[in-house]
Amino acid sequence: MTTPPPGTFAELCQILAQIMRTRSTSRKISLFSGYMLSLQSDRDLALAVQFIADGAFPALSGRRAAVGHRTVALTAADFCDIDYDKVFRPCRTATGSASETIEKLMHNLPGAAARRTPAWLGLGDVSDGFERLASASGREQKQQVLADLWQQMTPLEIRFMILMLGQGSLRIGFEVRSMLPAIAKAFEADPGQVRRVHMLTGDIAGTALLARQGKLGTAGFRMFQPVAFMLASPLETSTVPDPQSYIAEEKFDGMRAQAHITPETARLYSRDLNDITGTFPDAAGQLREAIDEPPSPAGHLSPLNPPREVVLDGELCVFRDGHIQPFQHLQKRMGVKKPGKHQLADHPVLFIAYDLLFLDGEAVLDLPLDQRRIRLESFCAGTGIPCSRQHNIDTPEDIGRLFRMALEHGNEGLMLKRRDSLYEYGQRNKSWLKVKQPGGSLDTVIMYAHAGSGRRGGTYSDFTLGIRVDEDERYEEQFIPIGKAYGGYTDQELKKMNQRIRELAVERFGPTLSLRPGIVVEVEFDDIQVNRRTKAGYTLRLPRFRAIRWDLAPSDTDTLADVERIYRERVENSGQVASHDNPVLHLKK
Amino acid sequence: MQVKNLGYQGIYLPDAKLLLDGSGMDIPTFITHAHADHVPRNRRQPVYASPATAALMRARGHSGPIEEILFSETVSFPGSGHAGSGHTGSGHTRVTLFPAGHILGSAMVFVETPGASLLYTGDCRTPPSPASEGFQLPDRSVDYLIIEATFALPIYKWESHEVTFQQVRTFVSESIREDATPVLLCYNLGKAQEVMHALASCDPPVTVQIHGAGEKLCRVYEQFGVDLGRWEPYDRDTLSGKVLITPSSSLDTDMIGSIRKKRIAYVSGWAALEARASQLLADELIPLSDHLDFFELLDVCRSLAPRHIWLTHSPDPSVALHYLQQEGFSCSSLDMERSDDT
Repeated sequence: MTTPPPGTFAELCQILAQIMRTRSTSRKISLFSGYMLSLQSDRDLALAVQFIADGAFPALSGRRAAVGHRTVALTAADFCDIDYDKVFRPCRTATGSASETIEKLMHNLPGAAARRTPAWLGLGDVSDGFERLASASGREQKQQVLADLWQQMTPLEIRFMILMLGQGSLRIGFEVRSMLPAIAKAFEADPGQVRRVHMLTGDIAGTALLARQGKLGTAGFRMFQPVAFMLASPLETSTVPDPQSYIAEEKFDGMRAQAHITPETARLYSRDLNDITGTFPDAAGQLREAIDEPPSPAGHLSPLNPPREVVLDGELCVFRDGHIQPFQHLQKRMGVKKPGKHQLADHPVLFIAYDLLFLDGEAVLDLPLDQRRIRLESFCAGTGIPCSRQHNIDTPEDIGRLFRMALEHGNEGLMLKRRDSLYEYGQRNKSWLKVKQPGGSLDTVIMYAHAGSGRRGGTYSDFTLGIRVDEDERYEEQFIPIGKAYGGYTDQELKKMNQRIRELAVERFGPTLSLRPGIVVEVEFDDIQVNRRTKAGYTLRLPRFRAIRWDLAPSDTDTLADVERIYRERVENSGQVASHDNPVLHLKK
Repeated sequence: MQVKNLGYQGIYLPDAKLLLDGSGMDIPTFITHAHADHVPRNRRQPVYASPATAALMRARGHSGPIEEILFSETVSFPGSGHAGSGHTGSGHTRVTLFPAGHILGSAMVFVETPGASLLYTGDCRTPPSPASEGFQLPDRSVDYLIIEATFALPIYKWESHEVTFQQVRTFVSESIREDATPVLLCYNLGKAQEVMHALASCDPPVTVQIHGAGEKLCRVYEQFGVDLGRWEPYDRDTLSGKVLITPSSSLDTDMIGSIRKKRIAYVSGWAALEARASQLLADELIPLSDHLDFFELLDVCRSLAPRHIWLTHSPDPSVALHYLQQEGFSCSSLDMERSDDT
């Protein structure tokens, strides 16, 4: 292969391919830090980091190229002069990845090769190309821009530019947690400082620039610049080795959010650091008012010295009649950019705080949880902003007891947080653990098998599960889809299923096989949601395999009536006790 | 000419009264090569095969009589053109083996009856594996072609043997330089010896250890004049500094687990798919194939221009059929139809 000139997009892609083929994380980090050092301009450095960590556009921009998978695939088939259904789709089924398929076809097919001449585009050229894609309107225009770019690219460049369009992982085993140490290594910066600047700014490309310029110290927290979230890991065992060093909080079934509040403005940010204030004006308004007019007499805060700038971590929940309502209610508000009067009245959303990150210029997030908590409670008492209740854990049995209590309160489970933990980005050393109870399980039948992507490419690894309606007058079918599961089985089970799938296959649609009912799966799920767009009217939230029931026949599976019953029970049971004595949150009204 | 696919019992040619790569019928049975999915399940089945295939089959435990047929040598049988056996003359079926380039001994079976001729490729590769007897098409016209289509999708296009062999040698020498044991995951008949042949020209020379049943097969290769370089059977205590060749099925075993520092390469046509790397935890994928790629398959079909083409051994023959039909060939999948009359 020809060596691309330095500083080009093609060179970046070669490094990415090398990183992909390297297994050792430290080697991946060395490769990329060496590459970053070789980049001359600040813009190239920022783009290279952004392309890998964020995608075609900076994550903070919230922008998208808005090019669908199908547009990309159709353009590729057209570019290679092959039939989309007869040639492209079977190839994608075999590789399990559209981008890998396109790379190979671009390389292998003489017709496609003849249309391409590498122009050794720079990183800026490709970024401009992404801009043109975003501003092109309609499929035809987008296809034109794509084809123009591809004509100037090698197959490897085409592959990675497609992955970058997805604004997700490039699937090369080099995520943010590797990028940050690579930045530190390249520019001889303190890894902790790099991590911190990234957390405070949420801007990884900017962090790389500051590291190169030796200016990490100047970066800091600013109001209305969201801080990257600390995340919880699932608790895989029934207890922790040192239960006393944790506190417990009930886990609300809502949406994680960060609130930046001043007397003038309150803004809310989602976990991906996008501004969601417009969607939840009621919650934001309450927060602003609480700071603007704290209920002075009872609070611990002096009325003479009300807080001016606060950053809270917490949960958005629909709260009505003194109860947190099930997630299904919040769902009616999520994604609604400008909720109307009725929506606000029917599903009022409340922000419940559980952590304090900044208070009037003090970086509270650098304090251990216990000390943050003292400040949070005092702040909430002074302002009337609700905050979660905390429980001490004295014995390992407390975890089980508190967990059952949380479920009785209609909550999702329990959060365990280390008392001495600082607030840090991502899943840090299991400082936060979540304990969740599966919402329930159902025996279902596999209706469709889908060829997997990435690690599970080339095998059928995703499954559409059906619920039985053979005696249901509303339906003529035997089974209708209820959810799609793609995990929870072992490699061996997957192999056995794939053998059986071949025997049961009726029809093929691209990467999807339709099957005769034959494989019964006991599926576990977090919740059942109403979804009127589906045939069943319900979908399962986070369905995953609990067991493949080779012992059961399709006629032994659960029915849609069972699903409806479970749903009703869940909604009815989630009523919570009145606000004055609310066991899960401190609420002042 | 009639062709019936009997699944694992082979391909049956009723007109010619022959069975290919199968067992269980009391008629002349030809075995193209010694891979398990082509040899008779009944180990006592009398068969015809090339000399190297015969030796490899015996090494793998075939105990029935094997009639050895040299390449390009024609044998005749009474066909079914007329009732009764022993009939000579126009009813004869003539069979000639041509080298298939897949593994040592691999043969294509060329069948001529008074009415028509048929070529069954078995597994084949052109350009041929350097550790095989080469690849040669019949010099007479082929009316019907049964061709293997294992990799019959345009995502598969092989680099030359020279390039992939160099990739194997570079992987091995770099691993050794880093003090890691190179582990090459190869099928133990064919791929293992092809890789050893590639490593025979390493400079400085390397020593290969081969796992288990591979040893007997290597001896057959050497008897037939293939240079396998320096090699010895696997021995945990003396592996250090050498190359281990073993099938990917041994990946979970103690043998590989006990190697302290290692680098693993998966050597196979399937290594062309990146998903395999993480499935096998391989450090390197080396797409060295002993099957035709999509483009090689089309080329063979074009050069023979038969009246009808059957594709076989394909996970998805639809794409190759689409291309062949576009070029005006009459073609179908032997696997889908199970049996076919033409």
